[in-house]
Amino acid sequence: MMHSLSLAAVITISLATVLIAVFGLRLSRTTSDFYVASRTVKPWWNASAIGGEYLSAASFLGVAGLIVMTGQSGLWFPIGYTAGYLMLLLFVAAPLRRSRAYTIPDFAQIRFDSAPGVRKLTAWLVAVICWLYIVPQMHGASLTLSIATGLPGWVGPLIVATVVCLTVLSGGMRSVTFVQAFQYWFKLAALVIPTVFLLLTLRPFAENRHGQLELREQLQSVVGMSGYETVSVILALLFGTLGLPHVLVRFYTNPTGQAARKTTVIVLGLLSIFYLLPVTLGTLGLLYTPQLRESGNTDATVLLLPQQVFDSPVADLLTAVVVGGAFAAFLSTTSGLVVSLAGTLSQQFFAGTVRGFRISTLLATFLPVGIALLTSSLALAGAIGNVFAFTASTICPLLLLGIWWRNLTARGAMAGMSVGAISCALALLIAGPLPADTATWWAQLLRQPAAWSVPLAFLTMVVVSRATRRTVPSEVDRVMARLHVPES
Amino acid sequence: MNEHDQQHFAEQRKLRVRVQAPSDAPIAPTTGLKEQSAENFYVRQLVRSQLRLAISVASGVLALLLGFAALVMAGSSMEQITLLGIPLSWWVLGVGMYPLIIVAGLLYTWSAVRNERRYRSIAK
Repeated sequence: MMHSLSLAAVITISLATVLIAVFGLRLSRTTSDFYVASRTVKPWWNASAIGGEYLSAASFLGVAGLIVMTGQSGLWFPIGYTAGYLMLLLFVAAPLRRSRAYTIPDFAQIRFDSAPGVRKLTAWLVAVICWLYIVPQMHGASLTLSIATGLPGWVGPLIVATVVCLTVLSGGMRSVTFVQAFQYWFKLAALVIPTVFLLLTLRPFAENRHGQLELREQLQSVVGMSGYETVSVILALLFGTLGLPHVLVRFYTNPTGQAARKTTVIVLGLLSIFYLLPVTLGTLGLLYTPQLRESGNTDATVLLLPQQVFDSPVADLLTAVVVGGAFAAFLSTTSGLVVSLAGTLSQQFFAGTVRGFRISTLLATFLPVGIALLTSSLALAGAIGNVFAFTASTICPLLLLGIWWRNLTARGAMAGMSVGAISCALALLIAGPLPADTATWWAQLLRQPAAWSVPLAFLTMVVVSRATRRTVPSEVDRVMARLHVPES
Repeated sequence: MNEHDQQHFAEQRKLRVRVQAPSDAPIAPTTGLKEQSAENFYVRQLVRSQLRLAISVASGVLALLLGFAALVMAGSSMEQITLLGIPLSWWVLGVGMYPLIIVAGLLYTWSAVRNERRYRSIAK
């Protein structure tokens, strides 16, 4: 019963996604349509689409999972994901829109007067970030489908990859915008419904004194992250968001810089509303599914909660709703990443043609499926946290200094991004095989590198730019004017 | 327009070449800014005021977040006060931070628009 209902939910959301994409096909005609929806998307649509795209497996399943695993420390992740958007609004949204670049490598090219080295390095970093970000989505799909339907682990990723390829290939960015706007509201509903049911059922429990004491005991029993780790995670999430390629590509679809700001403020609201739900579910998970902590499968909290509290028909229906929402999360984030990755790859290697975009789409989707099937899943929110740390150490300094500091040089940018990428990646690679309970200071430094790798990348950029100050691009003042002067 | 002019334009028309940018070239900036021009000076002023605004909002929010992190770490009285069995620190982190972030975003947007309006009124 539960298996067939959940499978029906997965099939429904997949079909709905493909149908909306094909509906969008009639509106999409030129190469520019494929990339950025002709920049005519309204702020509300765009904000819903950004929300739909941003709320990934890490938000939908991972946040509640982390709360069950690390207690109060887990609450910092959704705060970081939201405050990261604030940083994006403050430093990047309007200037990036005004730069009129399609992708981050395009921005690098505009800013550094067509220096090919920076463009190429940025394109590679974007590709790595997108792939690293898609892999956890595939892990999430694998976990969700095998828990909810008992199907083997490779079926979930295959469904996600196929649907994403169909949507992206059929209409490019315009149809993706429709699909993702729809998916934000669907994801919200898919968590609101079980949350309301659970809270209504559990209200008597929370109102009696004994229940309250038990709840408090459970909440405080979990050992969280250390002070250093908390600070490092906050920094990674705050500064990682503004370098995420799939998030940035959405800003090109705003008609003006001010519209880009307006969109971002709406996104802040949409994210805030959404995150109340996984936070609530995670807190309930501490009370009802603490056994997941021992099995290390805390990402399944949201999926398993309804069965812990309700009996058969209600539990099965609620689980199916959650499974549908989870697939909406995998589909929307993956398609956003695939669009920006395919855009970058096709411009770098296929001269930006529609055919090149299609080949790149296949490359962008099926490579991470392979990686996901070969690797085992980490805690979803933790894995995504690592990608944020990597982005914060590479793309973030490029954008922040590129937008705000006229003396940044191409060599400085390349040196800073290389140092950031190598130090962050090395730290995470060394930390990977360490046992999870190693709590020495150096293990913490390696596990959460953002607190030192981000300042290191910034410092390198500034120092090398100072040393090569003769090579400040001659057009820099024009570019600065283009980034910051409001459209008339 | 007299006959001579018309002839003149007709001759020139043949010489015109339609220029198209290569597909990967960035769109050319429309204004030619000189390093020392007045316009450039105003642009730098605008950039500086926007950066100052962004940094002050960002450092405010960052201080708030890190401050709360320290407060929670220190095991303050926020653990002791509870509502519906849930400690105050959970309410603050789980619910209370989001309105602050939204308010910071709104304040920034209004001030950024004001900076741009000021730039427009001076530069034109």
